[in-house]
Amino acid sequence: MTRRRWVIVGIGIAALVWALGGELVSITHDVPENHFLDAAVGLSFFGAGLVALDRRPGNVIGPLMIAYAAAWFVGNWANLRFPGAPTLVLVTNTIQTVFLVHIVFAYPTGTVHRRMDRIVLWVMYGAAALTSTVAALTFPRPPVWCDCPWNPTFFPNEEIFGGVTWIQERLGVILVPLLLAAAWLRWYGASRAERRMLAPLWAATTILAVVYLIGSVAAPETDGSFAYLLWELRAVLEIAIPIVFVWGLLSTRLARSAMGDLVMELERPLPPGELRASLAHALDDPSLGLVYALDAGARWIDADGRSVPPPAAIAGPPARAVTLIEREGRSLAALVHDPALDQGLVRAAAAAAGIAIENERLQAEVRAQLEEVRASRQRIVEAGDRERRRVERNLHDGAQQRLVTLSLAISMLRGRERLDPHTSAGLDEAYAELKLAIRELRELARGIHPAILSEEGLAAAVETLAGRCSVPVDLQVHLDGRLPDPVEASAYFVVSETLTNVAKYADASTARVSISRRNGSLLVEVADDGVGGADLEHGSGLRGLSDRVSAVGGTLQVASDEGRGTTVRAEIPLDA
Amino acid sequence: MGWGLAPMRVDVLECHPAAMARTVVIVDDHDGFRAQARAMLARAGYDVVSEARDGASAVRASRELRPDLVLLDVQLPDMTGFEVARRLFEGAGPPAVVLISSREASDYGGRVGSSGARGFITKAELSIGALEALLEGTGR
Repeated sequence: MTRRRWVIVGIGIAALVWALGGELVSITHDVPENHFLDAAVGLSFFGAGLVALDRRPGNVIGPLMIAYAAAWFVGNWANLRFPGAPTLVLVTNTIQTVFLVHIVFAYPTGTVHRRMDRIVLWVMYGAAALTSTVAALTFPRPPVWCDCPWNPTFFPNEEIFGGVTWIQERLGVILVPLLLAAAWLRWYGASRAERRMLAPLWAATTILAVVYLIGSVAAPETDGSFAYLLWELRAVLEIAIPIVFVWGLLSTRLARSAMGDLVMELERPLPPGELRASLAHALDDPSLGLVYALDAGARWIDADGRSVPPPAAIAGPPARAVTLIEREGRSLAALVHDPALDQGLVRAAAAAAGIAIENERLQAEVRAQLEEVRASRQRIVEAGDRERRRVERNLHDGAQQRLVTLSLAISMLRGRERLDPHTSAGLDEAYAELKLAIRELRELARGIHPAILSEEGLAAAVETLAGRCSVPVDLQVHLDGRLPDPVEASAYFVVSETLTNVAKYADASTARVSISRRNGSLLVEVADDGVGGADLEHGSGLRGLSDRVSAVGGTLQVASDEGRGTTVRAEIPLDA
Repeated sequence: MGWGLAPMRVDVLECHPAAMARTVVIVDDHDGFRAQARAMLARAGYDVVSEARDGASAVRASRELRPDLVLLDVQLPDMTGFEVARRLFEGAGPPAVVLISSREASDYGGRVGSSGARGFITKAELSIGALEALLEGTGR
């Protein structure tokens, strides 16, 4: 057994001696009270205080409970009539109450967190100290307060002493409502996990506060039996407090069996997000967050591979605590949870979910990489589009301008009179050749990037495509306004490529192009009544189109049965 | 910036029956094409009073010189020909405007029709005949 345990055992023995000895003194002096209840309350506090000292070493509630119990039995020992006994009883009765308040406010962590609670506690300690000091100093000569000549007096003063004891008895009237208010404020501000732990304690506190209130108000007027009944009721409730505390400790252990359920649940493979849900359920913290570390904590992602900010504890509200899960000193993942959760429990859950966490982390890492690839693919396509626009612009500003200028010059030469037939014929040939060159260059430029797409948008560009198609095209374009450039470019090329295929291979009599918006996506459909047989795998044009569409996050489908026409359908998201 | 403000006279080598010594401002950022267009118009009896290389000087020249016709390229360095046309039509007694471009009308969709210009000629097809067909077609 450790040294600490020996110390606790020692305190326990001393406590028993103090308690039972005190009770014995009361019995032998025929004090009219319920000795059993009296002893029970005190021993209950001693017991709970010892358990707290053992299980929660740093927590002030343990020592407070022991102090309360020690003060409890002072009254019993006072029957021995040693000098100063009545004064001591007066003092300990007052301080005892404040210990109780302190225990309630500090439950369960041992520190009083809320400012309101701290203020109330300081006021109470201050009031207790002040009134005790004054009462001790002004204790009146017997037989004013009691027939106890063994009590030393310093500055006996009946009036002051009477006033101070009156205050002490009335203290509950002012302070108890304050205590109630502070306690209920804490309840309303508490998270689910906190409330579960606080619930029985608050119920007992409320009843106790009410009883104290009655006792304070009724004190001077009551006759013996009513006051005694209240005292017994109060004692029974006071026993509840240490029992509740120990139960709170035990129920943490009960929650540990939920770990067993968690382990069972984790046997089967989990879709992303379910691991978090299982942990949240086992720890009873619905707001639980689970994030994964990449590069040993340099970056953080969620189960879907999306980047998230590094997990950090926040004071709130709502308050969040972070429990890091590490392997060989490197960060693997982190649980972000309600700070009221028991640390041991969180760690047990993390350990139980160990393999599942590693698996999900690997999957999340892959998803993050895929996302990077997707983004880079999109950037490449967009860079390609920008380059095409640039080339078209250069062609327009450069070669095309020069050729049309040349054509105008030759045209004017042709218009001159007095040209010999050779020169005239030569000029005519040159002019015809030049016109062809101009037309071919224009077609080339349009194939690289159609100016009307940038100028007027998708609807106008599709109209010109339909107009130029050798097959009659029925247009059903329902668009108002422009769309993002990458979306318009992809949609345009779907229609352009497909209509080209229709004209070249389909042997169709008509085609239909429909474009519309639905549910945040653009739907583009090109259908013909030709020979069908188009295939995503075997036509390099369709494959390239499919790649281009999926690079901007869309999908392309081809339905083309032999002899039944072809329908090419693309769906492009608008919010990318 | 546009060339000088003083009107420039050019010898008329041919008399075109339909020409009435109309004054013209040519707007195009390509120097070579402007020179050819000027020669073509001058030969046909038009009086090219100014040339401009960008939209701002085109608007200025038009307001100061009040030409009968503005031959207006769509692709200009500072604004489109459509924007220049809009500004020209804001003033009183605007000129006739004919848009020209290396591209075709279909590359600009409906903007040609709604610009207020008499019409559009692609540069490759530019000739006096095409120009006058446009101008006479709507009467002036």
